[in-house]
Amino acid sequence: MAASDYKGPAFDSSELKELKAKVVNGCLILDREGITDGFGHVSVRIPEQSALLTIAQVSPGCAALDKLVLLDFDGNYLGGAKPAPYEWPIHACIMRARPDVMSVCHTHSKWSALFSVLKKGLRPAHMYGRFLPVGGAPIYPKAGLITSVERGQALADTLKDGAATLLRAHGDAVVGASVEQAILRTVQLAFLGELAHLAAVHGGPDYLTEEELATFAGDRSFPARPWEYFLSRLGERRGA
Amino acid sequence: MATNRKDVPTIDSAELKELTDKLITACHILDHEGVTDGYGHVGVRVPGADAFITIANISPGSVTRDRLIMQDFAGNHLDGATTPPNEWPIHACILKARPEIVSVAHTHSKWSTIFSVLPIKLKPLHHYGKFLSADGPPVYEGVGLVRTLERGNDLAAALGDGPAVLMRAHGDAVVGESVEQMIERTTRLAMLGEWNHLALLHGQPKYLSAEELEVYNADQKFPLRGWEYFVSRLSGTKSKLE
Repeated sequence: MAASDYKGPAFDSSELKELKAKVVNGCLILDREGITDGFGHVSVRIPEQSALLTIAQVSPGCAALDKLVLLDFDGNYLGGAKPAPYEWPIHACIMRARPDVMSVCHTHSKWSALFSVLKKGLRPAHMYGRFLPVGGAPIYPKAGLITSVERGQALADTLKDGAATLLRAHGDAVVGASVEQAILRTVQLAFLGELAHLAAVHGGPDYLTEEELATFAGDRSFPARPWEYFLSRLGERRGA
Repeated sequence: MATNRKDVPTIDSAELKELTDKLITACHILDHEGVTDGYGHVGVRVPGADAFITIANISPGSVTRDRLIMQDFAGNHLDGATTPPNEWPIHACILKARPEIVSVAHTHSKWSTIFSVLPIKLKPLHHYGKFLSADGPPVYEGVGLVRTLERGNDLAAALGDGPAVLMRAHGDAVVGESVEQMIERTTRLAMLGEWNHLALLHGQPKYLSAEELEVYNADQKFPLRGWEYFVSRLSGTKSKLE
C-alpha cells in the first residue's frame, strides 16, 4: 500500500471527538438492539478525507473511545488502537466508491444471514424498507472474509448505489449519509428480515410495490428520533 | 489405569488457577447465552495427566469454585467435591481418545436436540460453521445417559476426529483445543442450529459447499474476540469466580 498523504485532523484532535462518540454509540446500539454478536463494525468517514474511523479488533458491544482506529482508504494506520479490523476494506472500498456515504455498518445479523442463503430475496414488506429496491437487497455471492481490497471492491460493486447488501453466509453491509442513518437502516433491515421470515411462514406477504415504496419514500422522515431512542435504551452502557 | 492423586496438582493450586477460572467462566457463559438449562457440564483436561476437572452435580449457571471435581479417566475421585456428574464418562472417554483436546462441553442445547431427532442434518450455512464439515456433525444414536465407559467410548467413536457430535434426543458434545475454542464452537453450533431451523422453513437453503468452507478456513481467525465479548455480557455473575 502507498504511504498515506492524509492531511486531516489527527486521531487525538478535538475535531474528531463527536465522530468518535457516534461510532462508539453506534456500535453499542447495534449490540443492544440484538443485531451484532461478538463481531461486526461501524465506521464513519473523516469529512473531505480519504480516511475513516472504525473500531479496532473488539466486539461492537465492547466498543470504547480508546478502541477506535483511524485508517486511510488504503488501510494505512493513522492513529488510535491497533490492530485494524481484518475487514477494513468493507468500509474503505464502499466509501471510495460512494462519495455520498458517510457511514458503513457491517454485521452478522441473523436475519441478513438467513436471507443470504435463501432462494428468495429480502424484500420490503413494511415501509421501513423504503430504502431498499422492490426486489430486495442485492447479495454479494462470494465466500471469504472481506480482507482484501479486491474483495472490498467486489462488495462495493454489488452494493452499487444502494443502501444495503447482504453477504452470502456472512451478514450484511449497510450505508448511510450519517452514522444515525446507517444505524437506523441496519436495525430496520433486521426488522424487515424478521418480518419477511414470519410472513413467509404464513405463505408469503403481499410485498410493497415500487409505487407504494415511492409513496412512502416521498414522506418526511425523522432522522434524529430513533437515534435518541436507541441512546436512551443504552442506559449505563452509553459509551461516549 | 488409575491416576495417583499425588501426581496431579490440586484444584486449588496456583498452577490450575487460570484453567479452573476459565472452566467456571465457560459454564456461566453457556448459561448466560442460553445454551444450557439446568443441565450440562464443561470439562477441562488436567495438563499432562490422565485426569480432568468438571462440575460436580450442579447446573452450569450456578457453578462456584467449591463445586469443582477432579477425576481420572477411570472415574476415580482425585480432588474437590465428591459427587461426580452422572455423565463424567463423556469427558473421560473423549479426552482419552483425543489427546489434542483441552476442553469438552456437554449441553442439552435446544438446537442440537432438534436436529438430533430430525431426518434433516444441521449443516453450515454461515461462516460461523467453518469448523464443521459441509455435511454437518454426526449424530450419536445411543439411548440413555452416558454414565458408563462403554457408552462414553461409543460417543467418542461417533465424534471421531470431529469438533462436535449431536446426541439423539439428548443434546451435544463439543470439543476444543482451548476452553475459548470450545465456547466459540458450542455457542456457534447453537446459532447454526437456530439459523438452519429458520432457513428450512423456507425450503432448501443454499448451504456452504466444502470449497466455500475452505475459503473461509483460509481467513484469519479471531480466537479471543468472542470470549472477551461473552465475558463482558456476564457482568454481575463474574463475582461467582471468587
